Amino acid sequence: MIRPAVTLALIALAVLAAAAGCTDTEPERTVLTVIPAGSLLHPLEEIEAAFENQHPDIDVRIEGHGSIQAIRQVTDLGRGIDVVAVADASLIPDMMYIPMSEGSENYTDWYVPFARNEIVIAYTDRSTGAEEITVENWYRVLARPDVQVGFSNPMLDACGYRALMVTALAEEYYGEPDLFEAIIGNSFDPPLTPTRAGGVATITLPERMRPADAKVAIRDGSIYLLSLLDAGGIDYAFEYRSVAEEHGLRWIDLPPGINLGSAEHADDYQKVHVTLGFQRFRSIGSERTGQPVVYAVTIPCNAPYPDEARIFVEFMLAAFHEKRAGWPTPIE
Amino acid sequence: MIPVHRLCSTLFAVMLLSAVALACGCLGTAEGADAPDWNLTLAGDQETVLTFAEIRALPAVEGYGYSVSTVGIKYGPNRYRGVLLAELVEMAGGVSADDLIYVSAEDGYLWVFDTAQLQGEEFFTFDENLREIPAPPLNVILAYDQDGELLTYEDGGPLRLVVIAETPDVITEGSSWVKWVDRIEVHRR
Repeated sequence: MIRPAVTLALIALAVLAAAAGCTDTEPERTVLTVIPAGSLLHPLEEIEAAFENQHPDIDVRIEGHGSIQAIRQVTDLGRGIDVVAVADASLIPDMMYIPMSEGSENYTDWYVPFARNEIVIAYTDRSTGAEEITVENWYRVLARPDVQVGFSNPMLDACGYRALMVTALAEEYYGEPDLFEAIIGNSFDPPLTPTRAGGVATITLPERMRPADAKVAIRDGSIYLLSLLDAGGIDYAFEYRSVAEEHGLRWIDLPPGINLGSAEHADDYQKVHVTLGFQRFRSIGSERTGQPVVYAVTIPCNAPYPDEARIFVEFMLAAFHEKRAGWPTPIE
Repeated sequence: MIPVHRLCSTLFAVMLLSAVALACGCLGTAEGADAPDWNLTLAGDQETVLTFAEIRALPAVEGYGYSVSTVGIKYGPNRYRGVLLAELVEMAGGVSADDLIYVSAEDGYLWVFDTAQLQGEEFFTFDENLREIPAPPLNVILAYDQDGELLTYEDGGPLRLVVIAETPDVITEGSSWVKWVDRIEVHRR
């Protein structure tokens, strides 16, 4: 006869074995952690599904963040990330070409620029002025006091500071002094005004980006602007072209000289700077300079699965080269 | 007296049961048993350093916190307990209407609040579908408990800025939910 204590012990062993996963016969999949910028989320989710079909032994986990926050997962937060893809290629050398610790190798020493984007003015059929806005008059429509404009928080989102850059560039491009103030600046107290010196316009942001009236709306990320557009809370939003296309919005294409989408105009874009109201992160300065919108990908040196990461990156780059609707445009 | 062989098998069973309980997380640290070694610096008219235990001894408030990231990932809802940010700022010497409050963290993150936010105002709030809703009464707290347990490091503990509401269905933007808070600074304007 089996003693109760032994029976108890056998039950306990069985429970322990189950809790420890010893009876699990499923083959373990390699978990690949991929961190893309917000405007890459939709393409990356499609790529994830296609990749996992071809590589059932790899479980791709996509975790979207703003570009700076994406890199910080590797650097400041010390997480084991396999792939990082950002909406501003310059952030990788700025933030990752530094030693992981004193005397050790850099977080990375390379990146692949793979796509570009541009800023557009997104709107809906219900937006005030929707029937009259064109590529020629968009800035006059946005400057009207009854038209509400939205952009994402420049402290948090590259698309946010790029919205400010586009508006400052438009002021010069169209020869319309005070255009920046009419569209954005006058909605702040005190007003937000670009200062111009040596051919460069600098926009210095307050510590709190809080508009003083309803003409301007600022939200943490572009998805909230899309929701506001949909609900009629704003009439126009500064968005990436791919995002407007992905969400079936109407949009106005801006001239290449101001849309941050043309490599040929890189010198023009550099004539606008945005200085953030405070240094949000120790690991990156508070000054942003106008540049073409270029997406880039890298694999951190301390990636847990570098071989699988390389396979994924090759797959991803090939997918982008197919020029799909609603995705950032591939760089040839 | 228990025979030696029976004693051994009973002891064996007890040890195994303990191992099972540990594996299942049943013997978690009792709340408050091990206070984290963490200090908070309050910098206003003067600089004060509070230990974690001193913060926990301050009057506490509770509520539901539910945040969303810049790309729409939702975290929560959870029940949080902590100290009102306004109370900590008061301990730093208080604020005037135009002052700003810098809340910073061990990892180098910094976020700036104004005095309206200190009172739970001017936050954007969303429903489950991330559609904006009128903001109900909110409180901004420095939280140390999440769902009755000490905030883990992974969740931004020991101290994290959290925006709480009375109900669990109010989502706020996560940018102000500063993790690993170690300094609160009043900037006079």
